[in-house]
Amino acid sequence: MALRMTSALAAIALAFTLGQPSQSEAAQRVQVTGEVIDSWCYLTQIMYAQGTAHHQCAVWCAAGGVPVAIRSAEEEVYFILKIGDDGQNVANPRVLEMQTHKITVDGDLYERDGMKYLVVDRVVDDTGIVNETHQDFGIQPFGE
Amino acid sequence: MRTMILAAAAAIAMGAAGAAQAAESWGLPNEEKARFEAKAVDVLCELTGDCPDNCGDGSRQMGLLMDDGTLIMPLKNQVIFAGAAWELAPFCGQRVIADGLFSENRGHRVFALQFVRPAPDGKWRRANRFKNRWAESQGLPADSPKANKWFRHDPLVEKVLEEDGKLGLGPEADEAYLGQE
Repeated sequence: MALRMTSALAAIALAFTLGQPSQSEAAQRVQVTGEVIDSWCYLTQIMYAQGTAHHQCAVWCAAGGVPVAIRSAEEEVYFILKIGDDGQNVANPRVLEMQTHKITVDGDLYERDGMKYLVVDRVVDDTGIVNETHQDFGIQPFGE
Repeated sequence: MRTMILAAAAAIAMGAAGAAQAAESWGLPNEEKARFEAKAVDVLCELTGDCPDNCGDGSRQMGLLMDDGTLIMPLKNQVIFAGAAWELAPFCGQRVIADGLFSENRGHRVFALQFVRPAPDGKWRRANRFKNRWAESQGLPADSPKANKWFRHDPLVEKVLEEDGKLGLGPEADEAYLGQE
């Protein structure tokens, strides 16, 4: 009898486990301020990838599904995985429109294998584009 | 001479076939070619438990979950200015062999997916599904000039840049800056 109950409990536990994601992480509440960036160009430095000089390319990359991130003043990079109730994090029109803006967000931070992922509850502040770099770096990458 | 030409042609053909299965150098910082087996997962689902069907059908960033629990979110595919979500979405929940490049820079180790195949021995495919998908959405052939420069013709990009300008400061700022060049 005890063995049968244990087996039944194990089966129920297994069924619940199979219905869940393989591994959920503990989150930390944070407020992050920084520039919305194209993660690939910034992290690989294949070109200058900050501010107005790189705005057009950042819009292209966001539309192409390259992960969008926030670069803080401390040069930490936070990948944006969600904004509010919107779980679309590939070519999200709202995120495209925030490219290069300086924003402050509240949300949950998940750290995994050296990457910082943000689930944003709300955008607290959006001061638009303040990092004017085109006079020094031109328009990246094609100059037009 | 004819034998030499044929041999050269065969070598090129074999080289091309080999290239379809091996990472190609892009000259990235601290670049490292890599091939590994992993499960294709929705990154947001993996971290938070927010899991739509089929990994969101291309609307979610995809990750490669290795057997030791390491999660890698590829940032790039083989198409200019495009990411890897659409390359991995068809493999949601499945094991794949990923082939590409790691680059370590600015305190991050990032991955570019160049080729992918179903594990253990499926057919290799270049990570360029994005272009086909984009062309199809626009009613164009995948090899059309517009598809090759998709970023110049994407409706969402056009809308944002028309409103905000290339610099993001508005069309007048573009005009002033580009006019002075």
